[in-house]
Amino acid sequence: MNTFLQKLDSVDRRVIFLIIAVVVILPLIFPLGLPVEPTQTTIDAFDAIKAIPPGAKVLMSFDYGPSTKPEIHPMSIAVLRHLFHKGHPVIVMCLWPDGLFMAKEALDQVALEEYKLTYGRDFVNLGYRPGNEAIIKGITQSFEANFTMDAMGTLIRELPIMKDVENIDDVSFIINMSAGFPGAVEWIQYAADPHKIPMTSGNTSIQVNEVLPYVKSGQMQGIIAGMPAAAEYEALIRRAGMTDEMGEATSSMDAQSIAHLVIVLFIVLGNISYFVKRKQEKKY
Amino acid sequence: MEHSILGAWVAAFLTLAIFSYLYNDNPFYKFAEHVYIGVSAAYWGSIAFWNQIVPNMFGRLWPHVEDPSTLEGFNVIWYKLYNIFHFISGNIFPENGVYANHDQNLTYIIPFILGIFMLLRLIPSIGWLARWSLAYVVGLAAGLRMYGFMSSNVLSQIYGTILPLHGEAGLSFWQNTGLILNNLVIIVGTLSALYYFFFSMEHKGIFSGISRIGIYFLMVSFGASFGFAVMGRISLLIGRFNDLITYSSGGYGYATLVLLLIMVATLFILSRQDPEKNTDQ
Repeated sequence: MNTFLQKLDSVDRRVIFLIIAVVVILPLIFPLGLPVEPTQTTIDAFDAIKAIPPGAKVLMSFDYGPSTKPEIHPMSIAVLRHLFHKGHPVIVMCLWPDGLFMAKEALDQVALEEYKLTYGRDFVNLGYRPGNEAIIKGITQSFEANFTMDAMGTLIRELPIMKDVENIDDVSFIINMSAGFPGAVEWIQYAADPHKIPMTSGNTSIQVNEVLPYVKSGQMQGIIAGMPAAAEYEALIRRAGMTDEMGEATSSMDAQSIAHLVIVLFIVLGNISYFVKRKQEKKY
Repeated sequence: MEHSILGAWVAAFLTLAIFSYLYNDNPFYKFAEHVYIGVSAAYWGSIAFWNQIVPNMFGRLWPHVEDPSTLEGFNVIWYKLYNIFHFISGNIFPENGVYANHDQNLTYIIPFILGIFMLLRLIPSIGWLARWSLAYVVGLAAGLRMYGFMSSNVLSQIYGTILPLHGEAGLSFWQNTGLILNNLVIIVGTLSALYYFFFSMEHKGIFSGISRIGIYFLMVSFGASFGFAVMGRISLLIGRFNDLITYSSGGYGYATLVLLLIMVATLFILSRQDPEKNTDQ
C-alpha cells in the first residue's frame, strides 16, 4: 500500500489529463441528472432582476468572448429570457470586441426566435466600442457621443428604444456579463456606484473572489458565479414558469460535479502520498 | 449547411490541435497557436479601426458634407487634404467626408497626432516621440481610475466592513447568533489580513498572533481562488467537449473522430522518427 502511495507522486501527468477527460466526457454522453439547488447569491441576482419596475429599461453589457462562452453564455441566455419575459426593453452594448458576436447570438436566439420581439423597439445592440472604462465613463454623460450608430449602422437617435435615453441615468438597472477587464469591477466603479444604479453581474468562476466583496458590501445585487450559478439561474427561471428548456449549463453540471470529485480525490491522494514519502524519508 | 460543416471541421481541428499540447509540444499545436495569435490581433485591430478610428476620429475631423462647394475658409484647404487621403484609399476615406453623424471637432487632431507618435516607435531615431503618447495614456488612466478606485474600492469597502456586533431586533436568537458570528469573522479577517501587510512594526508577541490569524484568512482566500479557478477551467473544458461531441456526429462527417485518428497517427509517426525528443516527456 505504502509503495503504491509513494508511486502516486511520480504518475505521468498525461495519465491525469486522460482521467479528467474521461470523467468529463462520460457524464456529457450519459447524463446522471444530479439536482441543482440555487445558492443565495444567485437567488439575490434573480430577485434583483425580478424587482426591476415594469417596463423599465435595462442596460446589459456583454464583456466576454468565445474563450469564456461555456461559462457565461448560458447566463446571458437565462437572464435575457427573464428580462424579456417581464417585458423590459434591453439596451445591449459590448466592451470586448468579440462580445459583439456573443450578444448577437444571444439576442437572435432569445429576442427574435423565442420571444419574436422587434429590433429597435424592444431591444437594441449598440455594438462594441474600444476604450474600456472610458466608454463607461462616457455613457454616464451621453450614449450618443459614444455610440452614434448601433451594430446595424442605424443612428441611435432614430431608434424608438433610445428615445428618452440620454445617458446612464435613464436606465433602471445594469447587468454585466463579465469575463475580466473591462468588466464588473469597472461597471461598479464608473457607473453603478457613482450614479446609484442597481447592478448585478454574471462572472467567470475565476473572477468571483475579486467581485464577491462588492456583493457583500451591497454595491452589487447578487452575482451569477460561473457555470454552476448559470445552471442555478436556469433552474430559477424554470421554476418561475418562464421556460421549459433545460439550459446548456444545467446539462453540463453532471460533468462539472464528477470532475470536481475526481480532482478532490487527486488532491487527497497527492497529499497522502506526500506525507507517506516524508515519513519514509525521516525513517531512513 | 456546407459552411457549418466546414466550420465544424476547422473548430474540431483547432480544438484538438490545442489539446495535443497536453501530450507534447508538436506541429499541430504550434500551427493552432500561431493561427490564434494572428487571427486575434487582426480581428482586434480591424474592429478597433472601423469602429473607433474611422467614425470617431476621421468622422469628427472630416465629417461628411453634402455639397463641398459650400465649404469656406480653413475647411477648403482642410478638405483638399482629405481629398489626397480619399485618392489613396476611397474605402477608408469616402468622397466628401466620413459619414458618422458627428459635427466637426478639430480638437481630435491631438489624438490623431498622438496616435501617429505612438507608431513612431518603429523608427528608432524618432521613437522618443512615442513617450508623449504614452504619457498621455498613463495620465488619463491614472486620473480616470483615481476617483473610481477611491470611491468604490476604498471607501465603500471600508463602509462594508463597519458591521454591528449586536443582534438585530425582530430576529430569533439563532439568527442573531449567526449574524454576529458572520460579522465577527468579516471584521477579524479584514483587520488581521491588513495587519499582516503592516511592516512598520515587528510582528512579535500578540502582534505575531494577529499576523498569523491574517495568514490563515489569506490562505482560505487563496484556497477559494484556486477552487474557483479549477471550476472555471473545467467549465471551459466542458464547453469544448460539448462541441467536439456535437461534431463527432454523422451530420458533420464525423469530424472529431476522423481528425483525432489522423492526429494520433501523425503524432505516433513523429515520435517514432525522433524518439530522443520525447524521452524527457
